[in-house]
Amino acid sequence: MWQAIKEFCSRPRRLKESGILGMNCRNYAVISACNKRSLYPLVDDKVQTKLLANKIGITTPGLIGVIEHQYDVKNFLEYVKNYSEFVIKPAHGSGGKGVMIIKSYTQDAFTTPSGKQLTFNDIYQHISNILSGLYSLGGKYDVAVIEELVHFSNIFEKYSYQGIPDVRVIVYKGYPAMAMTRLSTAESGGRANLHQGAIGVGLDIQTGNSLRAVQHNVPVSIHPDTKEDLLSIKVPLWREHLEIASKAYEMTDLGYLGADIVLDRDKGPMMLELNARPGLAIQIANGRGLAGVIEKIEKTYPKNLSWKERVDFVLNAH
Amino acid sequence: MLKKFLTVRAILTFGLICSLIFAIYSMYYKVALWGLSFNPSQKANVWTIEAHISFQPTGEPIKVSIAKPTISDDFKILDENIVAKKYSTIKDGKNNRIILSAKNMSGEQNLYYQLLLFDNEQNSGKTAASAPAKPKKPILDEQTELNMQQLISLAQEMAGDAPQKIIRFVNQDTPDASVVALLPMKKSPQELLDTIQNALSIQGIPNRRARGIKLEESKKSFTPDYMLEAYVDGQWKLYDINTGKKGKPENFVLYQRGGISLIDVEGGENSSIQFSVMKSITSTTKLASKRAALNNQENSFNNSIFNLPILEQNTIKWLTIFPLAILVIVLMRNVVGIQTMGTFTPMLLSMALVKTGFWPGLICFTIIVTLGLLIRALMSKFNLLLVPRISAVVIFVILMMQALTLLGFRFSLDIALSAVFFPIIIMAWIIERASITWEEDGAKNACREVINSLIVAIITYFIVSNDYIRHIMYVFNELNIVILFIVMLLGTYTGYRLTELRRFAPIIKENK
Repeated sequence: MWQAIKEFCSRPRRLKESGILGMNCRNYAVISACNKRSLYPLVDDKVQTKLLANKIGITTPGLIGVIEHQYDVKNFLEYVKNYSEFVIKPAHGSGGKGVMIIKSYTQDAFTTPSGKQLTFNDIYQHISNILSGLYSLGGKYDVAVIEELVHFSNIFEKYSYQGIPDVRVIVYKGYPAMAMTRLSTAESGGRANLHQGAIGVGLDIQTGNSLRAVQHNVPVSIHPDTKEDLLSIKVPLWREHLEIASKAYEMTDLGYLGADIVLDRDKGPMMLELNARPGLAIQIANGRGLAGVIEKIEKTYPKNLSWKERVDFVLNAH
Repeated sequence: MLKKFLTVRAILTFGLICSLIFAIYSMYYKVALWGLSFNPSQKANVWTIEAHISFQPTGEPIKVSIAKPTISDDFKILDENIVAKKYSTIKDGKNNRIILSAKNMSGEQNLYYQLLLFDNEQNSGKTAASAPAKPKKPILDEQTELNMQQLISLAQEMAGDAPQKIIRFVNQDTPDASVVALLPMKKSPQELLDTIQNALSIQGIPNRRARGIKLEESKKSFTPDYMLEAYVDGQWKLYDINTGKKGKPENFVLYQRGGISLIDVEGGENSSIQFSVMKSITSTTKLASKRAALNNQENSFNNSIFNLPILEQNTIKWLTIFPLAILVIVLMRNVVGIQTMGTFTPMLLSMALVKTGFWPGLICFTIIVTLGLLIRALMSKFNLLLVPRISAVVIFVILMMQALTLLGFRFSLDIALSAVFFPIIIMAWIIERASITWEEDGAKNACREVINSLIVAIITYFIVSNDYIRHIMYVFNELNIVILFIVMLLGTYTGYRLTELRRFAPIIKENK
């Protein structure tokens, strides 16, 4: 019994030594200390985030329209008439919940990336659900955002089973601290949620090269569906990725945030969304603790740098 | 940041210590002065002593004087009651007697004096008192005096202290000649006491007689027992006049001390007094107000929850257990790290389990959730809006509860009858959340969420359904404040959760 516990668990002291950030510590000492509550709406509302980001010069997927009222739902085809593909998502959603991607469609048949056929009614129902707050935090009334579909870069295509692989960068006080990319698998149903079986690949914060990959907390080296080598991933335009992440701090004033960035094959890195309470799974993907990195930034990194200088500092730091 | 952190924790720790001190003081107070107990099944004995006085009036004005029991520490008078029609009652506090008087009565008179006593749980049988005056030497004839002297000298060979020696000597199976000369073979307790008292008085030991009642269940028609009190080693001590056993017997009420009569009847003849005893049992909380009153704590007691009407008390009984359940939830989430559906869902479930009983509740819960999920799956085909949809689920839950209750009654299945105790809205939300998780993250995740919540609910249930814990949380409700500070202190806990030790273990293993 005791041996089994020892096998599967580690002692708190060891976690501490490795600089692992625990949930309680994240909530108490990091989030509540760095993130002002009043700033949350900026990142919780994707429409607001988008407008702010565009103002400060961060590219985001193009906005097609916002459906705010139930009577407007039946007209959603009007919104997308100039687009052959689109994404519907709740403005206040979290964890990728309620995101619907339509690759192609006719009047009454809609096709998702996985090839599933949906009817007009299905889409209507989905938007209605979004409006009534099914996916929003606390079940508050929400609005549905219709966006242009990101054409993710070919580089990622072979690493991901359906879905859009994105890069998550944790930004602490404006400094990119840790990064990973989440690759969807057949098991995760084309979603990028690690707890559903997506693969987390830790990325070197200075180079964008993969460090290690984990699925279900267990290290893996090849993608189970595409059989690609996960340890040879090199994220192109890495500096641009970090610039978006760094700018997000100026944009929101949040001391601890997660920036989700996708790489569009034509438009380069784009900010998908920001998160004021990014999760801790990134530590497992990176194989190292976040607390250590945060402490280093807090103690040794200079303050009052511009976003550009911060990116330079991170890229050149030892 | 660190400094701020320390002060918050320091303030809360200080608050916790203060609340702990307050709770301990308050608990001590409630136990000592109100007689409340930590044990839920602790009962207090209430004794009803009834003195039945009967006599024939002679035609002259009647005056009946009854001795009230001397109130000692071990028993307290809860209530007293006199049943005497057409008699006027005067309480003579100085002499501790009750005087009943009436004129022109005819026929046999029956008066009743009832006393309700309860155990005060301090048994001493010894009363410290300042040294009384040396007793007067009894005036005895020469022969008796001689026998007495012989008795005293022979009694010195017996074991025990001076009174015990005398008592044991006179009670020997084959009495000594001196005893035979002083006492008849069939001696009355009075005669026995007279002899013992004389012997003690000759030796200069202060003594007095005492009468009391041994409290036993359903004891009828008896006269109070005699006992001897002697002043030895600076204390009045009680002795059994037959065995010489020292100290007050268990459940013995000293009714009266000294040579005062139990009852004096003027204007009556053939008077008799008969006692009966009855025992009844009541809970400590019911007695608390009387005890508080006896300790002059009426004011504080009247402001306590125990002075509320029963209905409100029951509500508070229910409320006071919640903070403990909340504490369990906080521990489960922030220290153990179990994710549940909604923060307080498991707590409300566990409260429902308390009302339904464990297995019936669990079975009912499973039935409702399973059926609810089925119905919800059917409903997702209808494309309803969220609020009407969840409302429909609520109504389905209500219908299921009605059906279960009806079936339960029809086929006398107690299990089904408990369905009504589940919080309807919570059940509906569990079904809705589970069905959405099912659609989005698959059946495995949905089941895990439900089961996690259920596990936490079950753990909470076993804690809050414990009789001891519930009793203590209610009777000593100041513990709620302690829990408040513990919960707030847990709000500053930044250590790892237990589940994180497992979650992050792979990192440690590889880094090794």
